[in-house]
Amino acid sequence: MNEEKDQDLVKRTLRGDKKAFEMIVRKYQQPLLGYVSRMVGQREMALDFTQDIFVKAYASLRTYEPRYKFSTWLFKIASNLVIDHWRKKKIPSFSLSEPLGRDDDGLTLEIPDDEPSVPRTFELAEVRRKVETAMERLPGSLRELFVWRHINELSYEEMAEIKGLPIGTVKNRVFQAKEMIRRLLEETP
Amino acid sequence: MSCLTISDLYDYLEEGLSPERMNETSEHLRSCRRCRRAVEERKLIAEAASSLPPFEVPEDFPERVMSRISRPRVPGSGWLIGLISGSSLLTLISVLLIASGRNALEFFKGASQTFWESAKNAAVFTAKLASLVSIIGRTLRSLLEAGGKSLSVLTSLLHPGVQIFILVLALGILASLFYGLRKKLSIGD
Repeated sequence: MNEEKDQDLVKRTLRGDKKAFEMIVRKYQQPLLGYVSRMVGQREMALDFTQDIFVKAYASLRTYEPRYKFSTWLFKIASNLVIDHWRKKKIPSFSLSEPLGRDDDGLTLEIPDDEPSVPRTFELAEVRRKVETAMERLPGSLRELFVWRHINELSYEEMAEIKGLPIGTVKNRVFQAKEMIRRLLEETP
Repeated sequence: MSCLTISDLYDYLEEGLSPERMNETSEHLRSCRRCRRAVEERKLIAEAASSLPPFEVPEDFPERVMSRISRPRVPGSGWLIGLISGSSLLTLISVLLIASGRNALEFFKGASQTFWESAKNAAVFTAKLASLVSIIGRTLRSLLEAGGKSLSVLTSLLHPGVQIFILVLALGILASLFYGLRKKLSIGD
């Protein structure tokens, strides 16, 4: 996403040009809705949340530091709102900095001999549908990283900046999310 | 080269390995069917996840956001408002001092004296008003008590029939007075 243009739009908004902020909304409405929808599940609620993200961003635009990417700053606001929502609704979600599984990360193992061949027989469209369903079953914090990586196409550096975690940790958690999805696809008839 | 770890496998797919390691892995995949299959499966899932259809954003979404936003807040604006108010007050006092031709000590002494005089007068006035209200209250209470007692004595002396006659007569007089007055003032015509 064109960072130079974002910085320019931010400056114009701060000078009172509301049209510039509307351009920001138009640019980021789709990626933010894509993320929020997968985080909260319901479309109407996701639309309200996405509005809230922009309203909050506008109100605190003066606190934005241009040395960071604008999209990263926006996703940080979004992530905080989603986490608040999970807390209020008492939706369980583990901390990304905590160890997840039995063998530390489950990713150092070699590929097992009896690994079932899951999706090779499926068509891409069918795999898409199954992935969408499997994503809903991922723990919230892993789902968030998976969505950012594959749907919002954020880099590991961006994700690490948003979550305030080392790149290695984020990368490991994304791989874990992918493996979980793969296992869930295995279980899907 | 030994078979891939799951972490290596994802790094290979995302081209996150060093060039040498990428070559080694490619070489290994040519000869190892099991690792090749594992890579293909994960590649298919990644493709499916990255090509999920986007969520439809309502056309009026930017307008909805723009109708909710207010001017960006200036961080620490409360502190700034305090500073401006303080400066304005000091300026006003300076203008008053210059206009009155008195020095600051005299001015504050005078202002303080005026304030205490006013406070004293207000206290005396409030005390007098309270005592007047109390006297009026006591007088009204005595009058009502006397009226009640007289009525009680009068009703005990007169026969109930006579009491009803007096009541009907009084009501008749009141009605005719009201009717006469209404006619005189042409109320309701």
